[in-house]
Amino acid sequence: MYSVKTLLNQYLRFIITAFGIALCVILMLFLLAVYKGAADGAVQYIKSNDADIWVMQNNANNILRNTSFISSNLNRTLSEIDGVKSVSSILFLLASVKTGDHPASIYLAGYDPKSVKGRPPMIIRGRNIEKDNEIVLDNSFAAKYRIKTGDRIVIKRDTLIVTGLSTGTNLFVLQYGFVTLRKAREMLGFPGYVSVYLIDTSEGGKISEVVKSIFDKIPGIAVYDNLTFLENNSYEMKSGVLPILFVVAFIGGVILTAILSLILSVYVLERRQDYAIMKAIGSPSGFITWMVVEQALILAGSGMFLAFIMFFPLLNLVGKISPEVTAESSASQLIIVSVSLIVISLISSIIPALKLRRIYPLEVFY
Amino acid sequence: MDNSIAQMSSVSKIYQRSGVETRALHNVTFEAHPGELVLILGPSGSGKTTFLTLLAGLQRPTTGDVLMFGKNVNKYSDKELQMLRARRIGFIFQTFYLLDSLTSFENIMLIMKFSGLDKTTASKRAEELLDRFGVKHLKNALPKTLSQGEKQRIAVARALANGAELILADEPTGSLATQQGMIIISFLKEIIKSENKCVIISSHDERIKSSADRVIQLSDGEII
Repeated sequence: MYSVKTLLNQYLRFIITAFGIALCVILMLFLLAVYKGAADGAVQYIKSNDADIWVMQNNANNILRNTSFISSNLNRTLSEIDGVKSVSSILFLLASVKTGDHPASIYLAGYDPKSVKGRPPMIIRGRNIEKDNEIVLDNSFAAKYRIKTGDRIVIKRDTLIVTGLSTGTNLFVLQYGFVTLRKAREMLGFPGYVSVYLIDTSEGGKISEVVKSIFDKIPGIAVYDNLTFLENNSYEMKSGVLPILFVVAFIGGVILTAILSLILSVYVLERRQDYAIMKAIGSPSGFITWMVVEQALILAGSGMFLAFIMFFPLLNLVGKISPEVTAESSASQLIIVSVSLIVISLISSIIPALKLRRIYPLEVFY
Repeated sequence: MDNSIAQMSSVSKIYQRSGVETRALHNVTFEAHPGELVLILGPSGSGKTTFLTLLAGLQRPTTGDVLMFGKNVNKYSDKELQMLRARRIGFIFQTFYLLDSLTSFENIMLIMKFSGLDKTTASKRAEELLDRFGVKHLKNALPKTLSQGEKQRIAVARALANGAELILADEPTGSLATQQGMIIISFLKEIIKSENKCVIISSHDERIKSSADRVIQLSDGEII
């Protein structure tokens, strides 16, 4: 009763504080959503290919931050191994797309259009590539540089027609583009290489046995089952760029704690006389301390409510302004932030509660 | 005496600030009983407020014994003293000290919350007190909208809300016009009569003298 009334007594300050808390909460929610979006987006391409086995250059263990060049002659050798049903190859290379004044980097995946492996996870506009002079671009990349299907873009010396736009192909700092394997080799300038082989095993065949057979037959290469390869790539993404998002979210939480603590301390000091009166007339010490905690929770709750209202429209807005930012919110993120906010409220009550202890009931008599 | 509510025996209180000793009370012996109005009279700085705060258990004597409800205050824990103030002692202040963000009704309810009274009983009692002091119509009024006299009536109602046996009033008429002041004193007299409570008033207001059952004159911390 007293907590609410004291807060609402200065409703403008209450609104500004709640709004400030809401912005911090939105920052935390946004960073978590970007984290999830980037972490999921980074492995979506691998997931969608659903290969049983991935073969790479020796010591390479992921496609995100490793270079892998492996001879294209191994295709036949791999196909002849017992238990191998099909072999597909992809060549990855970084390339620059001419976009206005500044070139934009794109992570090109060259694959055989006749194969089911190596394709973009989902085409949301247009169609897949069929010819060497065609390209499919990541949707957010295309949106950022205002490229539409049917447009022509220049990569190195080649002019390619954009036939489609894909999703699930945003690596957070880089986006995928898809060309034919032949075109990718031509751009690389070394025709006899691929980056990875994707192998499907025969039905009933044991993947571990096929992996062992590949090692036996072709020494000096890296071979992974699909799950291990997914984990490798996921780890690479999470341990690379993404921890910075958590650091920023943590800093946001610390700032929020400081702001809340400061505001609550101001309320305590402004209401010093009230607290002294309450102590004099017999208020239990826990009652007064709880009032500060209650104020912290009310402020945090109001901020959280505002944040939840504003977050999703803001997320859409960010998507429009910066299409390359893939943010994916989930119920678990909302729960994490809500719990964090409760913890922040409790922590931020500590200093004001200590200030309360230094308010003496005798103050009202002198 | 056995039935004394508050007792002081050779009580002295010395404050120490920056190494300088200030004697607020010296060798004071006193007792108060149910059904009497005791006036502690004295000029500013005579030790009246120290006298009152010692009886409230808000501070402890330097020497001597203060007995509250038959028990030495030094033997009460802080928690017990808090309970004592919440349940058995009522306070009236010179400047009323109503919480300005709460309505009249809520100000009265708050003390009953401290004393552990259930909400329904407390609410009923608050209504009765507002009615008794003629301020029922001000139930939802905030203190800032009330006159000085109205504020003091609410403050008296608050002091009685917890069923206190001892009412400690610090300059209760200090902020009131003569007529309003005398109305408050008559309220207190009526309470003493009807509920057998003990009221101890500290004041420099000589006009209260005639209403008091006993007058204790303080000067420089000593009873004269």
